Amino acid sequence: MDVIYLDNNATTRVAPEVVDTMMPFLTSDYFNPSSMYDAASGPAAAIKQARRTIARLLGKVRPDEVLFTSCATESNNTAIFGTVAANSERRHVITSAVEHPAVYNVAKELERRGLEVDFLPVDRSGRLDMADFVRALRPDTLLVSVMHANNETGVLFPVEEMARIAKETDPGIIVHSDATQTVGKLPIDLSGTSRHLDLLSFSGHKLHAPKGIGALFMRRGTRCRPLLLGGHQEDGRRGGTENVAFIVGLARAMELMAERRDADEPRIQAMRDRLERELVARIPFLQVNGAGAPRLGNTLNVACHFIEGEGILYQLSSHGICASSGSACTSGSLEPSHVLRAMKIPFTAIHGSVRFSLSHYSTDAEVDRVIEIFPSIVANLRRLSPYWDAAANRPRPEAMSMMDSAAAPHS
Amino acid sequence: MTWNYSQKTTELFMNAVRGGPGSHMGEIADPDGLGEHGSIACGDALRFTFRVNRHPSDPRLDVITEARYLTFGCTSAIAASEALCAIIEEGSYTPIGALKITNDDIVRYLDGLPQQKIHCSVMGAEALEAAVFNWAQRRGVNLAELGIDIQRDEQEEGRLVCTCFGLTEPYILRKIRELELRTIPDITNAIKAGGACMSCHHTPGGLQDLLDQVWGKQPTMLRELPVLPTARVPAERPRSELSPYKFAKEVERVIDQQVRPQLHKDGGDLELVDIKDLIVYCRLVGACSDCVAGGQTLKLLVERALKDEIDERIRVVAV
Repeated sequence: MDVIYLDNNATTRVAPEVVDTMMPFLTSDYFNPSSMYDAASGPAAAIKQARRTIARLLGKVRPDEVLFTSCATESNNTAIFGTVAANSERRHVITSAVEHPAVYNVAKELERRGLEVDFLPVDRSGRLDMADFVRALRPDTLLVSVMHANNETGVLFPVEEMARIAKETDPGIIVHSDATQTVGKLPIDLSGTSRHLDLLSFSGHKLHAPKGIGALFMRRGTRCRPLLLGGHQEDGRRGGTENVAFIVGLARAMELMAERRDADEPRIQAMRDRLERELVARIPFLQVNGAGAPRLGNTLNVACHFIEGEGILYQLSSHGICASSGSACTSGSLEPSHVLRAMKIPFTAIHGSVRFSLSHYSTDAEVDRVIEIFPSIVANLRRLSPYWDAAANRPRPEAMSMMDSAAAPHS
Repeated sequence: MTWNYSQKTTELFMNAVRGGPGSHMGEIADPDGLGEHGSIACGDALRFTFRVNRHPSDPRLDVITEARYLTFGCTSAIAASEALCAIIEEGSYTPIGALKITNDDIVRYLDGLPQQKIHCSVMGAEALEAAVFNWAQRRGVNLAELGIDIQRDEQEEGRLVCTCFGLTEPYILRKIRELELRTIPDITNAIKAGGACMSCHHTPGGLQDLLDQVWGKQPTMLRELPVLPTARVPAERPRSELSPYKFAKEVERVIDQQVRPQLHKDGGDLELVDIKDLIVYCRLVGACSDCVAGGQTLKLLVERALKDEIDERIRVVAV
């Protein structure tokens, strides 16, 4: 059975071109780039070139403003813990309630360590209110860390505007954004529209490079301590022997994303839009999460009222279709996604959320297959649900009344 | 986290969703026993119904002939519901006899469940118990006289320990004993308590204390978490000589008198978002909000007026 991979916000297929670029550094050019002998000059030059490429693709920033890390989680930890460690006169951090755990849980840890953290709320479409942000700014605000696009819903946040407002208020405020879901997909101009951002995190495996490589843009002059102490690699800002092959692969993957963007993004968005339209037309009581907000073109997050997401994923998987869910049973915790809870998705639907995320490799035929299969999967589970009237194909009357004001619990 | 369900579990699940032969999915109309457990808010819920062959003289000798379920939940919750119904139908149990069926029997029927899914089997056993209690009420059987202790009120009466799933101290204590739960993960796997916000794990009277109470360990001494030294007082920012109230009133007055009339001419307006010391945050609304030059216009127009009228140090930030 062919796999239909629609979970690209979780990870992506490694592009064959990227693998080709990496191979020499996994075979013949294995030398440590810090070594002195001639043989090491190849890997050292490759890293230099990769850094230049990435700096150019981020909006012609300086190459020494690009740090290589192991993943976006490390980039986020470095950005947040690093700036907190280097700016002890300030003790207030602003982030959002819908960050990826790699920021959200770091922010929770800051609270435990005695800092004050504001988690900006979002509305039912997943949007931030800029007035909330302005009100949260304080004289002792150290850091603003807000993601560029949400991994679950694809909702985009106006981080460029937020960065400008923060800097106009107080140039001493450091602004970080976790752009893991947008780098590659959207053009990022850290010398132009995003010039107020100090720190930007992303990883390779979301843009067709392998897992195990990430990067952190750190603008010159940003006060930030290293997270990993060690050798003098990355100008002492991140110890550890450089992951040469993966660094080269990341640069190649970013080049490919940039080359293909103009053709890919409209095509991917058209497929996503068609998937959304058809599912909404075929399935009653299906809501599109984040529908009212500007969203990434590749992401579709739907919530099916009165069923649970794990059983949906299991059936999808039996047809070879890979997707993900924000339901409690798939999260490792016993509560549904904090993102959907922050959006006050009704509790009648929150456990039935499914995310499809597309990529360069997605095809119309794959989308057709989901459109064909997904409605019957939902219907199968609803027949078993104590809240669904199978004969009338609608919620039972008492369940209907739950839907009206059903905000998610524990939020 | 991929699925590591037994073949039996996946077979029961797939047969149920396909509406295949032998599935117990459904609801018995006018049942002899009805029990529910869980809620949609908590992520799984089961409605369990059974029918009995009524004994002409002694209801205690009724025999369960048919069992059905409707379940909102994951793969294993649905499979556990199937297992529960199958065990009961195959065993020709009396309702009182069915109380001997435990969650372990359900797990065994499924050839095992992943640890973190044990609560699905507990849900089945709880719904069965509720259904038997319901049967006893309908048939006028006094379970307490028979020495059967079903405390349906404990949930309402006890102190709430796990607020996320609404579980009380007496209930959790009973389950710790009944199911021999030894650790916090054991508790979470079996009855979900402590599985969401986790704040009840080590608080006084929390899950660890309840475990210690049952199994007689010394309470853990909680060490205080290190707290960073408090921040130095941040550098003073320039402030107006006016009180914050007077300053805000002045800003509003100047905006009303000098800025709004100009914006109104173009069908626009201005919203004052916030004031922090000498920084005034505002945004354009109405016709002006889409104007490309909006941000700059706003800044120049408003800032000039406020500087001239109130304080040369005022800055305007467009939101």
